[in-house]
Amino acid sequence: MKIKLFGMLKTMVPGGKDLEVVLSEGGRVRDLVHSIQIAQPQVGELLDQRKVLVSVNQEIAHWDTVLDEADEVALLPPFAGGSCDSWVQEKGQSDVR
Amino acid sequence: MIHGFRRKGNPMSVELEASMLVRVQQENFSIDEELERVRSRSRRIGGIAMFLGTARDRSKGRDVSSMSFDHYEGMAQKKLKEIREQALRDFDILEALVLHRYGPIEIGENIVLIIVGAEHRADAFQACQWCIDELKKITPIWKMETTPEGDVWVEEHP
Repeated sequence: MKIKLFGMLKTMVPGGKDLEVVLSEGGRVRDLVHSIQIAQPQVGELLDQRKVLVSVNQEIAHWDTVLDEADEVALLPPFAGGSCDSWVQEKGQSDVR
Repeated sequence: MIHGFRRKGNPMSVELEASMLVRVQQENFSIDEELERVRSRSRRIGGIAMFLGTARDRSKGRDVSSMSFDHYEGMAQKKLKEIREQALRDFDILEALVLHRYGPIEIGENIVLIIVGAEHRADAFQACQWCIDELKKITPIWKMETTPEGDVWVEEHP
């Protein structure tokens, strides 16, 4: 499964290209995050701190969201104009783990 | 239903017109043309409020020589469309236009434009402020500033 990267994440990952992650069938966003934490610890730390969120099919995903091979998945660092805290609170992401 | 609109047209042209009111684009835009785009949507408009964001040469105590915007193609447009539609629902306004540029932008150039037309100024001002605040919160666009210390990704702005 390809994971799109944006902004600062492009400079954190060697090559700055999309990440490739293998997930088993029925894998969830939390499994994806776990794989990234192992392969890219720096990015994993930002995910853990909720500074980077996961979107699935262009919507912010919960950690329990089940992923399909055809899903469009991206990692979103804090936007240019938004405070990450307000963003996470508004999206209800603080309690999703 | 909003009264006083000049154009009715077929559904295709209405859709095209609506798509011109929400854009993420690399090229610069003409404020006059965009203002006219909003003004021409309704003869009932009596007040137009505008916010124009431009590239400044200083940020968080650092000199900035240029900047570049990354965006999530598709999702960025989707969020701008949601902002326009919610503004039309939640405020007493007649039209709203939301544009954002991406790619390299020189100091002094235009970055983002919000134009809101309403019968009265108070509604136009309120909706315009809400649109830009919401855009900064939910639109997947990222800014990289070039400074003497190197390139810096900007995480947040008030």
